[in-house]
Amino acid sequence: MNVIDNVTHGSSSNDIDYGDLIETDRIHGSLYTRDDIFADELEKIFYSGWVFVGHASEIPKKNDYVRRTIGQEPVVMLRNKKGDINVLVNRCAHRGNMVCVHDRGSAKFLKCLYHGWIYSLDGELLDVPSPGGFPKDKSELRLRSLRTQSYQGFVFASFNENVISLEEHLGRATELLDRSAHMSPTGKIDLSAGWVRQKFSANWKMLPENDTDGYHVDFVHSSFAKVISSHYDSAILESEADLKSQTKDWGSGHTELYLSPSYERPLQWLGSAPDRFPEYTADMKSAYGEEKADNILMEGPPHSAIFPNLFLGEMNIVIIQPINANECVQWHTPMLLDGVSDEVNSKIIRQSEAAMGPSAFLLADDGIISERQQIALQGKSDWLDLSRGLERETIGDDGILAGHISDETTNRSFWHHYRDVMSAN
Amino acid sequence: MTIPYEEYAEIRDFLYMEARLADESRYSEWEALVDNDMLYWVPRGEGDFDMSKHVSITSDNRKRLKTRIAQLNTGERYAQVPVSPMRRMISNIEVERTNETEYRVLSNFVLYELRAQSTNNVEVWPGRIEHKLRRCENGEIKMFLKKVMLVNGNEPLPSIAFII
Repeated sequence: MNVIDNVTHGSSSNDIDYGDLIETDRIHGSLYTRDDIFADELEKIFYSGWVFVGHASEIPKKNDYVRRTIGQEPVVMLRNKKGDINVLVNRCAHRGNMVCVHDRGSAKFLKCLYHGWIYSLDGELLDVPSPGGFPKDKSELRLRSLRTQSYQGFVFASFNENVISLEEHLGRATELLDRSAHMSPTGKIDLSAGWVRQKFSANWKMLPENDTDGYHVDFVHSSFAKVISSHYDSAILESEADLKSQTKDWGSGHTELYLSPSYERPLQWLGSAPDRFPEYTADMKSAYGEEKADNILMEGPPHSAIFPNLFLGEMNIVIIQPINANECVQWHTPMLLDGVSDEVNSKIIRQSEAAMGPSAFLLADDGIISERQQIALQGKSDWLDLSRGLERETIGDDGILAGHISDETTNRSFWHHYRDVMSAN
Repeated sequence: MTIPYEEYAEIRDFLYMEARLADESRYSEWEALVDNDMLYWVPRGEGDFDMSKHVSITSDNRKRLKTRIAQLNTGERYAQVPVSPMRRMISNIEVERTNETEYRVLSNFVLYELRAQSTNNVEVWPGRIEHKLRRCENGEIKMFLKKVMLVNGNEPLPSIAFII
């Protein structure tokens, strides 16, 4: 959890004026396609700020590791001998080879297979074969260690030694992460079901935008609405005047489709009811007390994008991985719950497969729609409108800016925070 | 147990027909080949995991498969509007009769898909299929398992809204 050096990744272009491309009610389409802007995003967002890496439950035991990518940097998230979580750059300090090649596993140390250099799980260089010809002290070289911090088991990392605190980055979005964790009677989620990855020939920013866009659902997902009854019927698919759910701007680019006001019964968000899972309902009540448990089971999990690359997709956890200006990958895993029956978790897995991933009833269509958007934005591009609902936003009792579920409050929140981050020196 | 060539040819022809109906997006005709206890399963990789504890790309029981076909038949399943022109090659067919009326069939395939809805690129989908087939009382063959193990099933994949 320490930072060894603060080497920055090359120089970024500071001559792009994001104020010229992002206004209150519109953004320029070139933001999705320009290679120089993508390179600038890697520097200013993915290598300077906090980025979601994974969850503590993925590496439950000492020596467990998983491989991830932050921006374009390969990293390893692991649990060291003391049980602490480290995020290390997966690149040998000698000749730049990967020191970890499997997607996940358990290792007492990290060994580069090129020349046999060995590192501890804290990134220290422990052994160099044939040391006679090595003129340096081993302490001079190591695997780069990122600043790492967790909240509710969600592990975030930053390449930037001087990054703001994770608390400041998350702000009130900690309440959203709390809501995810509190779906379990033990307060712990369990990301052990595996990750499915979906490739989008589209810019990464379209994903957090689309994830919290309530306006498209009636159109892109009309075929879903026709053949499946779900909690989205009352939450998103009613007529404009009848919809009670909201778009919310939690600050710092964190956004939400707040679907809960439309739920009429507990567990509706799981397509279920309390009498279907009496044990889960009872365990929640003994864990949180009657009133709070009722609220949790009624309100359900958040549908929220946490800037820049985490989506709390109700009972799914989603990572957005940028590849280049025209391509990204969405990772998803069902948000299994600790302390519940296998039956509840199986239901969560099947619900996840219905909604998320390349063949799902929902995301298969989102993928195509974003790819068409990417195609149309090539070339000269143009201004894109983001004015919907600008005149009817209100600040609720919770102090959060909210709009109608079909309004672009969430998209504006994302872009205005993006403008701030990208304009910083 | 080994089977006579004629029986093998009948199973092989079933696989060819199933592939052609899928290639041509003839959803309801394809669905007519499915028995009531069908599992249509596209795991990650080889699928050497417990599907009640791990997530798959697709794991449709009969009811969910019916919904999938109904969604495609709305004409508004935009990930397949227009439908992808597709052709697949089936080979390395191995047939095992598991009891008086049922067969387990392994085959390899390569599917070429034109992503006509978005990028207009040809996507190549290589893999292996395990079918479980049953001869019904009226003599017809139906399938009750189609498990599609993509060579790249653990990698990032674009939309698979068609029947793979």
